[in-house]
Amino acid sequence: MMNAVKIFAFTILVVLFYSYVGQMVPQTVTYPPDDTEIGEDMTTEELVEVGAEIVSGQGTCLSCHTMSGETGGRFPDLAGIGAAAGQRVEGMSDVEYLGQSLYEPNEFVVEGFLPGMPPAAQPPISLSDRQILAVIAYLQSLGGEPTVTLGTELPWQSEENSGGGGSEAAPAAPAAAQDMSGQELYDAYACGTCHSLTEPTPMIGPSLYDVGSRLSRDAIYEAILEPDATVAEGFQQGLMAAQLNATGFYDNVSTSQLRTLVEFLAQQTGEGS
Amino acid sequence: MNLPERKAPYVVPSCLIVIGAAFLIAGAPEVLAAVPQMPGGDVEYRAFPVVGSRVAVWVVAQLHLMFAAFVLAVPMFALTIEFIGYRSGDDRYDQLAYDFTKLLSVSFSFTATLGAMLTFLLFILYPRLMEYLVSIFDWTFVLYVSVFFLEAVFLYSYYYGWGKMPKGVHLLVGLGLNLVGIVILFIADAWLTFMNSPSGIDETGALVSTWDAINNFTWMPINIHRLIANICFGGSIAGAYGAYKFLGARTDEERAHYDWMGYIGNFIAIAALLPLPFAGYWLGREIYAFSQSLGIALMGGTFSWLFIIQAVLIGNLFLAANYYLWLSMERIHGAERYRKFIKYLLASVTVCFIVWATPHSLVATVEEARAMGGSHHPVLSVLGVMSAKNTAVNILILTTYLSFLFYRRANKEATVSWARTGKLVQFGILAIVVGIVVFLGVYGYFVEASVRIGLSIPQVGSVLFAMISITIIDIFMFKDAKVLGPIAWGKIPKRAQYTLFFIAITFAWTMGLMGYVRSGIRQHWHVYGVMADTSPDAFIPSLGYAANVVSVTVLIFFTFIAIVFWITSLSGRKEMEVGG
Repeated sequence: MMNAVKIFAFTILVVLFYSYVGQMVPQTVTYPPDDTEIGEDMTTEELVEVGAEIVSGQGTCLSCHTMSGETGGRFPDLAGIGAAAGQRVEGMSDVEYLGQSLYEPNEFVVEGFLPGMPPAAQPPISLSDRQILAVIAYLQSLGGEPTVTLGTELPWQSEENSGGGGSEAAPAAPAAAQDMSGQELYDAYACGTCHSLTEPTPMIGPSLYDVGSRLSRDAIYEAILEPDATVAEGFQQGLMAAQLNATGFYDNVSTSQLRTLVEFLAQQTGEGS
Repeated sequence: MNLPERKAPYVVPSCLIVIGAAFLIAGAPEVLAAVPQMPGGDVEYRAFPVVGSRVAVWVVAQLHLMFAAFVLAVPMFALTIEFIGYRSGDDRYDQLAYDFTKLLSVSFSFTATLGAMLTFLLFILYPRLMEYLVSIFDWTFVLYVSVFFLEAVFLYSYYYGWGKMPKGVHLLVGLGLNLVGIVILFIADAWLTFMNSPSGIDETGALVSTWDAINNFTWMPINIHRLIANICFGGSIAGAYGAYKFLGARTDEERAHYDWMGYIGNFIAIAALLPLPFAGYWLGREIYAFSQSLGIALMGGTFSWLFIIQAVLIGNLFLAANYYLWLSMERIHGAERYRKFIKYLLASVTVCFIVWATPHSLVATVEEARAMGGSHHPVLSVLGVMSAKNTAVNILILTTYLSFLFYRRANKEATVSWARTGKLVQFGILAIVVGIVVFLGVYGYFVEASVRIGLSIPQVGSVLFAMISITIIDIFMFKDAKVLGPIAWGKIPKRAQYTLFFIAITFAWTMGLMGYVRSGIRQHWHVYGVMADTSPDAFIPSLGYAANVVSVTVLIFFTFIAIVFWITSLSGRKEMEVGG
């Protein structure tokens, strides 16, 4: 009987140890991507913003591709793709090349890489034609000049796939009002989409629940203005910059707003502040 | 040895459970066909109280799989050991095979009960998914039921028929038991692999070919991977049973027998563990071949940190397996010659373990990250990539193989005239293969991804070549070898028995973790790219949460296994007392 008790205690200890190991790695909860809607009267600039959102969200592009400018990855890095796209395949414009890469990705594979990218218009990604146009606009903006509009026609488009993005306007970039509070700025730039203020549990990005007790104001400034300088462990490089670009943060935020936002975050000490 | 006479416990209820479960599954298509006409037939999901539907199905499915793995694996090595006993005429092997088989009867009842419970839960909680799966796999459910029934017949004939049938017939029954067990595994694998890598359907998800749906990208790799993993798992649980009996043994004779049983169980587990990474590699390759997105989700995205936990688990398994072999050598006269090598083996295992468990990027504070110049450590991040990890795993396998080789020849001295040449050739093969593995590992840093991925194959191939060729030379070299002393079975520290428990627990935990990732990589899909998961559970929980669910499952499993061990012990108690 004593042996059985000892063995059971030993089993519990070993299991607890492995549970502990499980708690020591980054804790991320991954939710299904939201469907990004495309308004019918969107301008090219707005398509770029929404495209950035799709690339890091519904399109799951950043699961495989990086945007750091480094080589040696398993899939082509997308930094500068806007400039390179028009030169990849002879006789193909940048829009056609990017369109083919999204609709029929294995028709042309960049040298040194293996085929295997799923077509963006088919499951499991299932982007609509308009969403794909937005992605192309965003990719053009990475080192090139976006030219795509919702009227751009591509040979792979189909009537069945023309919707999907809905007809309502996408969330516009927040207005640059000077008198917004920290919480309002936080909400306006959709920080809460990736970060939690109320729970220590990480979401897509690290929790900001106690960011004020973990980081100095300087470090918070740096984390906002250069999010890729130090990426918290287990989180995707390039994602925050892409998201903030998509919401127009870097174009619109003023110095005083930034100060307000940093002050607001510095007050988040995990004590119900 | 004076071993107890065989007598089987009363196990008829388990047959009834098997038949009940069989009828349940067999009736599934008809039940589901009726669903749309019934009130509530359009229900997609139902909620399970408190823990939710996903956790309920997760825990029960994992428990069912653990028992099923055990019930599938034990007959494989029981039959092999029985055959060895039959050929050699050594009754000890026959007794050992019977001891293993004794564990099957009660375990089979648990497997069937849990399988029935899982079936109920799936049909009740996920009716839409099950309706779809039945529409794809309808006739395979009937086949499954038939084969399941056959397995019950074979298993109880094999168990009750021990010593009561001519040996040849009994061995054939054992062979039948193994064959139907494998068929059952393959059928069930078709269902679950279809969910990960669906094929045989059109763009709307409608069935085009059942065979293509069965023979999907990951079906055969999972079949092989599970088959080998089940042997590992079954061996480790059987080894734990030997350890449990050893610790409770009253006589030296019992201790010797159960020490031997523990050793054999562990030997089976570790021997099967060595090729397991290769099967896992094949599986990973097929997942990438089916969908790069799925592969990336597995290895480079959401679940990348899971493989650090896996590295800790497998590293622990290798460490424990080596430790047990080194402790086992203490009971062999003549093994002292190899003691001096243990510190080098330990160093190799430790270094490989550390490399394997090194993450590509580090959990760091902002200050630490700034000091490092990013989240990647300037030195250690070099070890966190596949080139380094593949190299570490291959060296780890070779080191463990070396430990086993030392154990194997511990009390032997080769007498063949070419012994010196043979050892030199063995050493040469080992050195060259280590050189190849390390060279390819380093070379991987300097080539493109498309080339680097392919380097794993020559690494794996050369390690397999080394193990096979060195073993063949060893067998011939130590044939008719001079025996330096006996193996003193039973003379082994108690901590060796706890090492066997540790191995069994770690195997179970690993199985739970890998079951989670296999299912989790589908992310928010029931059937990847075909049927989306729209339930409230359509998100991937954190690894800490998953680890806790796995831990609870493992604890429940070992509680059940303790009951199995206890009931199994009762079957021989009367004879023990008489014989003792």
